[in-house]
Amino acid sequence: MESVLQVIFSAVFVSTILRVSTPLILPALGGLIAELGGVPNIALEGMMLTAACAGVLVSAYTQSEWLGLLAGVLLAEIMALILGFFHLNLKADIILVGLALNILASGATIFVVYLLTGDKGSSSKLVSLQMPTVDIPFIKDIPVLGEILSGQNLLTYVAFIATGLVWLFLYRTRPGIHVRAVGENPDAARSVGINVTAMRYLALLMSGFLAALGGIHLSMGYVKFFQRDMTAGRGFIALAAVYLGAKHPVGTLIAAVVFGAADALSIQLGNLKIPSQLVQMIPYVVTVASLILYAVVRKRQAAARQRKFQQASL
Amino acid sequence: MVDTSAITLSENRAVERARIRKERVRSSLIDLIVTLGTIMIALLIGFIVTLAVGKEPIKAYTALLTGPLSQVNRLGNWIQDATTLILIGLSVSIAFQARQFNLGAEGSLLVGALTAAVVALYVPLPPVLGIVVPLLAAMTAGFLVALIPGWMKAYLNANEVVSTLMINAIIANLYQYLLINFLTPEGDNVRRSALLPATSAFPLLADIFNANLGRANLAIVLVLIAVIAVWVLMRRTSFGYEVRMIGANEKFARYGGINTRRVIMLSFAIGGAVAAIGGVHLALGVHNRLILGISAGLGFEGIVVAMLARNNPLLVPITGLFYSYLRIGGDIMERTASVGAEIVQVIQAVIILLITAQFVIEFVRARRNTSGTSSSRTAAVSDATAVPSEQSRRNI
Repeated sequence: MESVLQVIFSAVFVSTILRVSTPLILPALGGLIAELGGVPNIALEGMMLTAACAGVLVSAYTQSEWLGLLAGVLLAEIMALILGFFHLNLKADIILVGLALNILASGATIFVVYLLTGDKGSSSKLVSLQMPTVDIPFIKDIPVLGEILSGQNLLTYVAFIATGLVWLFLYRTRPGIHVRAVGENPDAARSVGINVTAMRYLALLMSGFLAALGGIHLSMGYVKFFQRDMTAGRGFIALAAVYLGAKHPVGTLIAAVVFGAADALSIQLGNLKIPSQLVQMIPYVVTVASLILYAVVRKRQAAARQRKFQQASL
Repeated sequence: MVDTSAITLSENRAVERARIRKERVRSSLIDLIVTLGTIMIALLIGFIVTLAVGKEPIKAYTALLTGPLSQVNRLGNWIQDATTLILIGLSVSIAFQARQFNLGAEGSLLVGALTAAVVALYVPLPPVLGIVVPLLAAMTAGFLVALIPGWMKAYLNANEVVSTLMINAIIANLYQYLLINFLTPEGDNVRRSALLPATSAFPLLADIFNANLGRANLAIVLVLIAVIAVWVLMRRTSFGYEVRMIGANEKFARYGGINTRRVIMLSFAIGGAVAAIGGVHLALGVHNRLILGISAGLGFEGIVVAMLARNNPLLVPITGLFYSYLRIGGDIMERTASVGAEIVQVIQAVIILLITAQFVIEFVRARRNTSGTSSSRTAAVSDATAVPSEQSRRNI
């Protein structure tokens, strides 16, 4: 037990949490915007995977991490456009289109990597690049805090800054409020002159952008290779974080960090003979339990409100 | 006077019924043509990709399209793979008919495999019962596990996509944990359970026909039973009718007196029981033990099978056979022409995209035909509303 506590209260562990959370926070924010816009994005997983793969391949062949990032973002945006076109223009069901895109991404990335390197498992034969890490002046010299806060990958800082920006966008800008209005009630939004289709495309494109950043962090952040299906369900965990976080940017951030912490813990506890599967199960159990709790509380509130209303009318 | 009007009424009804039947045949013919067209387009796109890759495209595609029939053992692989896929496809089709995106088949399959294997390992059973008891235990477990997201959706309105995916992940971790820590025999380097007793193994087709049919086994009988059972359930019982009514219009169904919550919850749970049979087939038939990664994403593949069949239980075996033909063909293609088997996944994705877009085309067609006579959708709805008023009355 002592060793478990030692692990949890070490600076390395906290720093690991920040790193592991990054590819959850970014897609979760993307999932949040899409969810609030009324276009639940099941394809986060596929978008991350595609971006992770494209980033590695392009950076390996051009030897520029920025071109890799650009390629990843572009491909994820193309997927967002396909998702939008099939759902918004052809009226196909968005869940099924999302599933199709995930299958496509999983197959196509392995196919392309195999084609280029002859290896199905990973891109390790290629020399790809990483996104830079950032040392924050002054803070990096503070003993424990510096170890945690400084020297992280650029995208980790982007993830936290993005949370604030997404909040600003959704609650303080016109297009953001329109996106939420469209998700809340498309007919009402349309009746006051909001272009529902355009707002939903916007939500999906932003969602794709954030998912791509998460994917890039996976393959060009801590490690520098692409592995088949390396997202390993992170897109879906991100989706769960949106629900666990009560569909609010800050809540989503906290939920994603909680998931990241469980993930980091399972990595650390692997050395301590505590079954990693049980630790990895925690975030999912928490999500299911909180989904139930949230629904029950909401139901109680509604019932209480109704009772009050009836009493008042008597 | 009264008699003649009664006769004309029944004549009218007969004419009407004949018209509806004719309409139904025509619309299922159109469905068939459209589905075949979808598959052709998807295969063509796959071919263009192979061509672009430029590695012996003809040889690769020949392997993909004829491979599974080229050797007897490949035929066996095909049968065995299709057995699981058809069961999962059936499972998915049930809740999908109620327009519930139940993605829990993967989890139910794992629970089914785990339960069946544990019962077979720890409960000494005579022949026949050695299969029946684990099977029933697995179906019960699959039913109960799928009841959770069904209850959450029906009574708490919790998003079923998220809840089923979370529960799948919990089950996958639990499966791994139990397998590694309790079921792997001491001293075994590979993480797998002990071999199941011979009384709990499905007889292999290879032994029956004395041919090298791989691990294909008598679980195909279960597939036949399951297909007929699901068809009867969905098309010949009030439950199936209620499921389809909810799929057509949930509010209307509730207004008509259907207990929509109970029906939605049960549609999840019954799907879970069917998916569990797929797990039993893997544990007792294919591997004769539990292994790590026994399912490998089969839950999602089942969605394609169900969609291709338009959730029609009688078409699921055909689409399941077709889809697993492609899967096996893809493996053979990879070995003979070094074109990645993942091209099959690309083809699969294109099929889903085209089919979801087709629903739209049908919808538009139905709306244009305001007369409501020549579209498959309106025919189906009028058919559905005409017959079972008795059933809906019973539920009020």
